[in-house]
Amino acid sequence: MLETRNLDKSFGAVHVTRDVSLKLERGERRVILGPNGAGKTTLFNLLVGELTPDSGAVLLAGEDVTALPVAKRARRGLSRSYQKNTLFDGLTVEENLGLAAAVHTGSATRLWGDSLATPEVREIVEEVAEQVRLMPYLHAKVSEVSYGVRRQLEVGVALATRPLVLLMDEPTSGVGPEMAKGFHELLNDLPRDLTLLIIEHDMDLAFDVADTITVLNYGEVVFDGLPDAARGSKLLKEIYLGSWEDA
Amino acid sequence: MFQHTALRYTALILLAAGAFAQAVTAGYFGLEVLTEILLLAMLVLALDMVAGFGGMVSLCHGALMGLGAYAYAILTTKAGIAPPVAMAGAIAITGVAAWVIGAIGARSHGIYFIMATLAFGQMAYSYVFEAPLFGGDDGMGGIPRLDLTLIGLDLNDSRSFALFCLLLLAASYGAAVLILRSGLGRSLIGVMHNEQRMRALGLTVWRIKADVFGLSGMIAGLAGALAAQHVMYISPGPLAWTVSGEALVVVILGGLGTLVGPMIGAAAFVVLKHEVSNVTSYWHLVVGVLLIAVVMSRANGLFGWIEARWGARLERRLSDLTRKSDAEEVPTDA
Repeated sequence: MLETRNLDKSFGAVHVTRDVSLKLERGERRVILGPNGAGKTTLFNLLVGELTPDSGAVLLAGEDVTALPVAKRARRGLSRSYQKNTLFDGLTVEENLGLAAAVHTGSATRLWGDSLATPEVREIVEEVAEQVRLMPYLHAKVSEVSYGVRRQLEVGVALATRPLVLLMDEPTSGVGPEMAKGFHELLNDLPRDLTLLIIEHDMDLAFDVADTITVLNYGEVVFDGLPDAARGSKLLKEIYLGSWEDA
Repeated sequence: MFQHTALRYTALILLAAGAFAQAVTAGYFGLEVLTEILLLAMLVLALDMVAGFGGMVSLCHGALMGLGAYAYAILTTKAGIAPPVAMAGAIAITGVAAWVIGAIGARSHGIYFIMATLAFGQMAYSYVFEAPLFGGDDGMGGIPRLDLTLIGLDLNDSRSFALFCLLLLAASYGAAVLILRSGLGRSLIGVMHNEQRMRALGLTVWRIKADVFGLSGMIAGLAGALAAQHVMYISPGPLAWTVSGEALVVVILGGLGTLVGPMIGAAAFVVLKHEVSNVTSYWHLVVGVLLIAVVMSRANGLFGWIEARWGARLERRLSDLTRKSDAEEVPTDA
């Protein structure tokens, strides 16, 4: 469903992505691990088109999308959530979801009629609000809800475009253990045909949700395999998992 | 999202009633002042659509209004086209020009967008100032007004013309509200809140900005076509950037992103100009002091200040009244 071939990216003398090749099957849930500065978010930016690779290719559903801009990739089914909330703060939770759903249904560019009032948009908003447990907050302004709810909405907005592949950059970043647990359930309840690529620091979530795990270090893939193999990998313990193992 | 609150409805009703009363009762000078207010209100309404709801602070809206005026003047006096068709043509030409400016400027933000629009405006001004087709700095005269005698309205009469302008301002306001509440308008507001996210959701951001800028340009073009008919003469003056700057001052004074506020600002600005200029020719100084006071107060213009102070109180009072009347109705029904 999503594939990268030998992706390379440098900023001046700093090589942030080195020859990264990944292949995600439809419905696969892959977690990307790696220490700070490993190039995880840069990889996401390359995948969605916010950065252009120096070399290599990105393929979505078998088609090369490397030359496509962000919006066109999104319309083809590649959606992302951000590590820092990137929401429409002055609007309500419902309007946030509605804006995303309206882009998906094509009503976002309509000159006549309220795009959020169309049956298609309302259906998506309700469905996504159920999926990410936001029904009680639909009419609240984003600025009025808690940080945890905003993290749920961050994922919800990305989901409301009905993506084929959803990239999530640290969805549980900054939330407490209880909330993080809720996030595990939330992610596990997402439709099984949705392909997920998740950057995560929370090891419990990583091993709870992941079908496969990829580990980046200095922009390079140093591990690619099943969660059980990741747990036993010596290399991983050395570069990243020491603190988790000790804990 | 654009919403009509009780306070906004109240302000709209008061504005419309005040303008109508003035149109019916005022003498010649009063009608001229009223028409000046209505045309400025139309221009600032167009500007507020893009600046207040799209973050596109434009310094070419004066030039767009001027373009509408010149387009109408050329189509009627040089091409011999009937005024109603010429008016539609002027609106369309201005809309297309604004769409192109919006499309080119859409990739820039903040100060760079302002500078890009300033450049477009000044290019138009310089060209019109020099071009013989537009009459150079002498301008063009003999511009006819629409002939609506068939429906019993003689637009050569100042009162009828002011009422006609009021009607078209109301229509422009209605169109602006419909646009801002449409999918396009909601997307524009989304872009203003978070352009990166809207793009990541799959929206072609430049297109949204260009489309709304074009529609805003059409309202500015309508104001221009009416302004040309008002004085039956047009010179390059209205295309100068100072006119756009003045419109921006009015939007900020009135209340950015409220639609109603800038129209109140237009009335206040024109009245202030005429009243203060009776006393001193340095009326700009008074406007400057007022602008500084509004900006320093951190209120969103005069109307924003009123909304912050009385808006919530009025909403509460209205909902109390509604609850009371509901409670009174219950026993009767039972």
